[in-house]
Amino acid sequence: MPAHGPPRAYADRHPLMPYRWVDHTAELELRLDCETETAVFEDALLALAELLRDGRPRDQQTVEVAIRGTDRATLLADWLDELVFRAETESLVPDAARRIDLSAEGLRAQVLAHHGEPRHLVKGVTYHRLSFEPSDDGYRATVVLDV
Amino acid sequence: MTGTARPWCSMSEVARARRDLRRIGEVVWEIPAGARADMRVPARVFADAELIEQIAADRSLEQLENVATLPGVREAALAMPDIHQGYGFPVGGVAATEPPDGVVSPGGVGYDINCGVRLLALPVTASELGARRERLVHEISRRVPVGAGHGSSLRLQDAELDRVLVGGPTVLAAEHAIGTAADVEHTESRGCLPDADPGAVSPRARARGADQLGTLGSGNHFLEVQRVAEVLDAAAADAFGLWAGQVTVLIHSGSRGLGHQVCTDYVRRMDAVVSRYGITLPDRQLACAPLSSPEGGQYLQAMAAAANFAFANRAVLAHRVRESIASTLGPGVAAGTRQIYDVAHNVAKLEQHGGAVLCVHRKGATRAFPPGSPEIPPAYRDAGQPVFIPGSMGTASYVLAGRPGAMERSFGTTCHGAGRRMSRTGARREITGAQLRRQLEAQGIVVRCPSNRGLAEEAPFAYKDVDRVVGVVERAGLAARVARLVPLGVVKG
Repeated sequence: MPAHGPPRAYADRHPLMPYRWVDHTAELELRLDCETETAVFEDALLALAELLRDGRPRDQQTVEVAIRGTDRATLLADWLDELVFRAETESLVPDAARRIDLSAEGLRAQVLAHHGEPRHLVKGVTYHRLSFEPSDDGYRATVVLDV
Repeated sequence: MTGTARPWCSMSEVARARRDLRRIGEVVWEIPAGARADMRVPARVFADAELIEQIAADRSLEQLENVATLPGVREAALAMPDIHQGYGFPVGGVAATEPPDGVVSPGGVGYDINCGVRLLALPVTASELGARRERLVHEISRRVPVGAGHGSSLRLQDAELDRVLVGGPTVLAAEHAIGTAADVEHTESRGCLPDADPGAVSPRARARGADQLGTLGSGNHFLEVQRVAEVLDAAAADAFGLWAGQVTVLIHSGSRGLGHQVCTDYVRRMDAVVSRYGITLPDRQLACAPLSSPEGGQYLQAMAAAANFAFANRAVLAHRVRESIASTLGPGVAAGTRQIYDVAHNVAKLEQHGGAVLCVHRKGATRAFPPGSPEIPPAYRDAGQPVFIPGSMGTASYVLAGRPGAMERSFGTTCHGAGRRMSRTGARREITGAQLRRQLEAQGIVVRCPSNRGLAEEAPFAYKDVDRVVGVVERAGLAARVARLVPLGVVKG
């Protein structure tokens, strides 16, 4: 899946594409390489937004998301699962993370989003190959979505 | 910080699994249990020489080996010829586990619990349908919500939803005049898995499914108007009520968001308790619990509820198809439209095999009971259980009948489709949705799909050759071909 360009301001902050979709026979495998833990969560949202985007965002609003969890890999899966849940039940299409606060207990975030028609359906955020590890340049994470 | 139980297998392990593969029959291959220290039983694949090359190219075999490590797994971890890489279990995987210590794994059923197919047969020929074909496909596309963001017009109150989760399509027939008693009779398990408990389904799952009863979804779900191009077993086709030239409608969908969330909930719940039960897993997505444990029992209750929701979902879709037929071809044709059968291909069921009760996980695999089985409707009992194998878009689909070999060799199971061989990305690199739409229309197939991207991802070349897949299960004695169906029109999300 070609990763469509993120918003320009975002690209200025991240000269390298921070996420990419890895070939998988049936599902979507997301690979994230980021400088900070927080950026992994920001970029995972952008990747999901690429899937769900339904045209030009309009009437954007800020919504709060809070997730408890100490393990970063599980927290990443739960973060995406919460965004998928809101997309499916509230037609809330995420556009970007305004703010993410990570702590030992979990995550609190302000998400810029709009009400629309999510373009793609994500059935589940799996634990298959789920990882969140330090890397030479920061952090590398992998998550597989059932679509 | 890491969430993995063990570092993921490298591609060299793909090569190792391939190296350990042995041919043990004309269309049967096996990796012995000794290939890995953690395997409890062999990993066995039904395939011919060409298909096994495709299968060995991705991580399917490793994933099948991982299934062979599950506590309580019996005989072998099995794969049908349409196997491909999934998550946790491969798609096309079958595993039978024995209570009380054997496990149940939500990942062995998948997110789309009771994804399945239902075949309707119209009392008209393709010639009689004639030029009204496009109008029929268009009318179905108007009445059936597709895609991610389109809800159903059928909204159930909480108590009504509870009754559907417990009773499946029977409740819709009784309370909403959707479907008939004959439809229910011609549904696997009569559309109602036992022991379903709405209380085991989370509020989150109910919220996801609240407005989705009677919706198709997206991905590989579709609704296809077809013609019976060839009858291959006249006696079985006659028993099923199929004849050459007849128009049929194949419906492929599942439990939608409700089932997806049930899987999510219980994978997470079991992931939290595997160590308590002393279970070590090669892949977190195989999260499981003993069948006798509270977690295992509650998953089976929630899964049964989601499965009943899926049977009901396909019942509403069939109702919308009949409404479309009535408005296009007349109420008499709609009234004469019979449901041949409805089969699940993502489910775990307690069944008798070899004198024992086993929990048979089928993920992308179809139950295929042989002639004489009391589970089969009386009208079909001499022919064997009907099984429907959708091909890829634009290619043939098959009606099969279960054979005795399925009980002997695959826990009463056969394949479920053609099986992907190319990623979605790869498919989109090869063709655009607009190009594919033109190609299908040039073949005379009416296409209604709002998403060019979604259409391209389901391009026929992204799948294995369905003729070859069906040929393997026939040669293996799992199921026999009854009829070949070709598409006239397709509706997809």
